[in-house]
Amino acid sequence: MIHLLQVNPSTSDASSYLPVAIQVIFAVGLVVVLMVLTHLLGPRRKTTDKLQTFASGIENHGDARQPIAIKYFLTAILFVLFDVEVIFFYPYAVNFKELGWSGFWAVLLFVAFFLCGFIYIIKKGALKWED
Amino acid sequence: MNALILSAVLGVIMMYCGFMFKAKSAVRGVAIAGLVLLLVVNVMESYGTVFFHIDTHGMMRFDRFALLFNSIMFFSVFVYFLLSAKDMEKIGVNYGEYFALIYFVLCGIVLASSFRSLLILFLGIEIISIPLYILTGSDKKNLKSNEASLKYFLMGSFSTGLMLMGIALIYGASGTFNVENMHLAQIRPAYLPVTGMLLLLFSMSFKVSAAPFHFWTPDVYDGAPTVFTSFMATIVKAAVFIAFIRLFDETFTGLSGQWKLWISVITAATLFIGNITAVFQQSVKRMLAYSSIAQAGFMLMAIYSMNSDAKEGILLYTAAYSLATIGIFAVLNKMGDYTFDGFNGLARQQPFIAVVIAIFLFSLAGIPLTAGFVAKFYMLKAVLATGTGLWLVIFSVLMAAVSVYYYFRVIQAMYFREGQANIEASTSFKLTLGAVAALVILLGLFPGLLIYFYYF
Repeated sequence: MIHLLQVNPSTSDASSYLPVAIQVIFAVGLVVVLMVLTHLLGPRRKTTDKLQTFASGIENHGDARQPIAIKYFLTAILFVLFDVEVIFFYPYAVNFKELGWSGFWAVLLFVAFFLCGFIYIIKKGALKWED
Repeated sequence: MNALILSAVLGVIMMYCGFMFKAKSAVRGVAIAGLVLLLVVNVMESYGTVFFHIDTHGMMRFDRFALLFNSIMFFSVFVYFLLSAKDMEKIGVNYGEYFALIYFVLCGIVLASSFRSLLILFLGIEIISIPLYILTGSDKKNLKSNEASLKYFLMGSFSTGLMLMGIALIYGASGTFNVENMHLAQIRPAYLPVTGMLLLLFSMSFKVSAAPFHFWTPDVYDGAPTVFTSFMATIVKAAVFIAFIRLFDETFTGLSGQWKLWISVITAATLFIGNITAVFQQSVKRMLAYSSIAQAGFMLMAIYSMNSDAKEGILLYTAAYSLATIGIFAVLNKMGDYTFDGFNGLARQQPFIAVVIAIFLFSLAGIPLTAGFVAKFYMLKAVLATGTGLWLVIFSVLMAAVSVYYYFRVIQAMYFREGQANIEASTSFKLTLGAVAALVILLGLFPGLLIYFYYF
């Protein structure tokens, strides 16, 4: 079995895709087997309470599709944006010494562009909560 | 490199101008001055003055073809700003941001025209597309604008997905993103690069709205605010075409046996569907959307023929098509009624503007003495020079004859119908429009004026 995983990558004929095929068969097979098994083995007790939407144990009421103020979305989107910026610091922190000064200037430029955006959204009033 | 960095910086500057200047004319002034600067800087780079020396690791190369094309695009945007920038005020309150988004699109155009790596191609196409989704939906209170924006976004992201899939397959086959050392023709088995190439062909056809991938175009162009339709239908379409041509003529040359037939069928279908459907339109704006599909068919012939005539031709074609279409849209912006009947009797009220529109329409239809004629001539010559595709030439000439019908309906409405069509046009607007029309005729008489810059 192990020799299948050690196919020379330079020979790109159809047989080199065998590991991929095995993985696909395994992935599909696992899902099908689990679904069938739970249906066959699991006990079945249907009640109306179980078919309702789960809302932390509270009785649900009303429709979820109602207009919500745009400022919630704005804050959420801007949070994601600046969160991603922080994520970019992790690879930089790991390679901090190797990248040296040129890396420092590159990151500084990156942060400067983000700062431009940050000043822009504050000036535009995107973070103003009270109308 | 000059234009790439300057356009991005100018985009940020325009963002800040939006809230720094209360007067809209000040924002407009900065935008126009910035564009002149961009054009100057780009021309300087064409003649060897490079301000920023950045090692791109062979991912971009600024050759003469890319630089001249960028200059043509910047000049077209300059004309577009002069004619239509005032009309952007009517769309919404974020006046500075519209210019900022247009500058970001220009940044993407620079990337797309000089890519040497498929990653840069992807980046360029995306930087072009994403600001356009916003510009399409910028008329927030208008339901049609919202619909157009959503449609454009969904179709655009779908075709971007196809493009990424194609790039992934090509990378899998060749092991590199760099288009210069791919050697796709030597890869055996050939199905990986060919599948990847076809996926890229389909996604690029989506972006330039070639049939049968054109279905988003009429709705999006019709729904978007007219000023931005003008921008999308001319500058953006031409920019994607340059990326398309560079990709297929330079990267996929070795596979040309595989895609030549596809391209010729797509070209014929685009010409047929664009022209025939345009005949049945009642709205001039929608007619121009279909006309842009039909003109894309002619530009596709440059990809089919892959020779130096085609490269000269596509430069001329983008210039001729962009200038004429920007001019017509600039007048259409000011009309209250976008139907053909809305133009009834315009020649009596505004004789000068009627003449200028007639010149632009002559150019689009390919009547001699205009730039459009020479551009179409170069395209047909390029296809004939390949020695194949005579049927394509004959078919496209027939389709160009069909296009005369719907272009001349506007002229007929202006000159031979009774009506009260009128627009408010300032003297400077008329002068600019007249200068553009003069340029269209000048290029038609001396196409060498533009081609000259390609070689010297």
